Amino acid sequence: MTAVLYVEDVLLVDRCLTGEPAATRELFRRHRSRVHGCLFRVLGGNRDMDDLLQDAFLQVFQSLRSWRAEASLATWIDRVAVRCAYRYLAQRRRRIATDPLDDNARGALTAPEAGPGARRQLARDGVARLYAVLDELSPAARLAFTLHELDGRSLAETADLVGSTVTATKLRVWRARKRIEATAAADPVLREFVAPAGGQVVPIHDPRDANSRPPSIDDPRDANSRPPSINDPGAP
Amino acid sequence: MRLAGRIPVEPLDDERLTRIERRVVAGAADAAIRGQRLRAPGGALRVLIAAAAIAAAGVVGWAMRGAPASEPVAGPAPPRAVPAAPEVHVETAPQRSVVDIGDARIESDPDTAFAVTRPGGGVLIAVARGKVELEVGKRGDRPPLVVRAGDTDVVVVGTRFSVDYGDGSGDVDVRVTEGVVRVVHGPEETRVAAGQRWRTRAGLIAVAGDPRDAGATPGAGDPRADPRADAPAVEPRRDHPAVPDAPGVLHDRRAAVPDATAGSPAPARSASPPRPGREPASPRVAVRTDPRVDLRTAIRAQRVEPALDLGVPDPATAIARYYEIAAHRSGDEASQAFYSIAWVRYFRQGNGPDALGTLDAYVRRFPGGKEYRAALWLRVRILCLERSERGATDEACRAAAYTYLHEAPGAPAAHIAELLTQTQ
Repeated sequence: MTAVLYVEDVLLVDRCLTGEPAATRELFRRHRSRVHGCLFRVLGGNRDMDDLLQDAFLQVFQSLRSWRAEASLATWIDRVAVRCAYRYLAQRRRRIATDPLDDNARGALTAPEAGPGARRQLARDGVARLYAVLDELSPAARLAFTLHELDGRSLAETADLVGSTVTATKLRVWRARKRIEATAAADPVLREFVAPAGGQVVPIHDPRDANSRPPSIDDPRDANSRPPSINDPGAP
Repeated sequence: MRLAGRIPVEPLDDERLTRIERRVVAGAADAAIRGQRLRAPGGALRVLIAAAAIAAAGVVGWAMRGAPASEPVAGPAPPRAVPAAPEVHVETAPQRSVVDIGDARIESDPDTAFAVTRPGGGVLIAVARGKVELEVGKRGDRPPLVVRAGDTDVVVVGTRFSVDYGDGSGDVDVRVTEGVVRVVHGPEETRVAAGQRWRTRAGLIAVAGDPRDAGATPGAGDPRADPRADAPAVEPRRDHPAVPDAPGVLHDRRAAVPDATAGSPAPARSASPPRPGREPASPRVAVRTDPRVDLRTAIRAQRVEPALDLGVPDPATAIARYYEIAAHRSGDEASQAFYSIAWVRYFRQGNGPDALGTLDAYVRRFPGGKEYRAALWLRVRILCLERSERGATDEACRAAAYTYLHEAPGAPAAHIAELLTQTQ
């Protein structure tokens, strides 16, 4: 974040706090794409997305006075959005409707003549199957996995956003991966999506990915290496 | 497993975005208004408080058994101290009565009904009917005391005033004896200072003169007889001298400061800054105590805390450097850099409006900052100089002066600020 952006954020927030509609609009426009992307990747496409985006920003504006400029405004807004997503997942605990893929589509996946259109369709199905597996995870595990693996955030940033420790977050991501890989082993569509190269499932302990190793409670590399607990009180 | 970027985000079309934006902007405006009011407890909490209130009312009633329902004001008995309770209902007999709730002393007219609750550390006095007169002690950092009469809130942090709700049918009459209160009526918010009066009738706001004179003024209590009854403006009392001769006029005023940081009105930011390149007078000049003191000279003579010296002659470059410091450092360094941005904008670039914006942000971000008082004084200087040049002091200037008095009562410039609060 540049210094100018920081000061601009501070001044913009002050204008918002006076109830100036132009400032509110400007803040919404600056951050809407990122927040929408984050919510979409966490929750998948669903018909409540408009309401969720609206709720997230309403929460932002209701709590704006509590932003103390210690974190960047974008991070703070993301934190609010993640809390909204968590509430949505925890309260509804419903399966987000996913269309089952018929056996013909499975066959099309491996057919050598499958064209780009079929590939795109299969990719869509892969996404749907991925979110079907994610629906079975706990809200905390789903948030950790989607923010880290799908939204591309670092473990530390993910832990910060969900209000948990890095170790606990790593454990949740690891468990989510394990579940997805287990499902992918029996599901060619999902397997193709999570491991497109040669149709092989990425091993759980990917040597290229330091984050894929099973987390250790006593790992000295973990800055916050207190024993992880799935009932971590720091979780949102 | 690396899936980042592989989940395509379904874009929102313009129509949906516009609809969301419209709702968010409307919701944010509501939030901004609500943020200026005392935060009311949530629905479930309300039920709990109501239940607790019934129980507390029973306890208080039991504790008060045997005592008269109310005490005459003229009686020798001292005010009754009501212990802290979730809610206390008071319904007075055909006599005036006095209740001391610890935070305030409430005198009520005959046949007055009100309830006292303490949501979120504040005090909420809900008047059902009748008239109450309050003497509120300084609340410091505690949440404010609010008197609610119908849809009108009177917000106060330390002052003396009265709220008359008549028969509870909708008319509210607020008279301030000492200090300042904020009257919130729907979306409108009005600052009512000592010697002023605020009244609603059929949605219209009217303000009359000194409440102490109201009784002597023909038709003062009758809005139909008030030719200004339809004017939605605050009219200050006319008999206040511009010097602190009036005994007790400013007593407690410093504790009743309107929130000047919550956005000064746009016209207030048109204060004329000094010519670019001119530094403020650095030596401190003693403020004359002459009642006819020239406020403009006094303001200019008052020392202004200098900006952080970076040895950079170009103001724009200096501001860029201050930006860097404010963004990447914390604590005192960030505070000083932020203040310095405002200082350079005003004194070296001659940009008063931007300087005010930066100062507003500073005051909100660094309430305990080393330059906090200096920032408040600079606000006073910017807002009041042009006004005093025109021979008039406007609301924004007075509000800034009140804020300064409240936050820096013993500061060297406090006397000037006090004079500014009296200037009409």
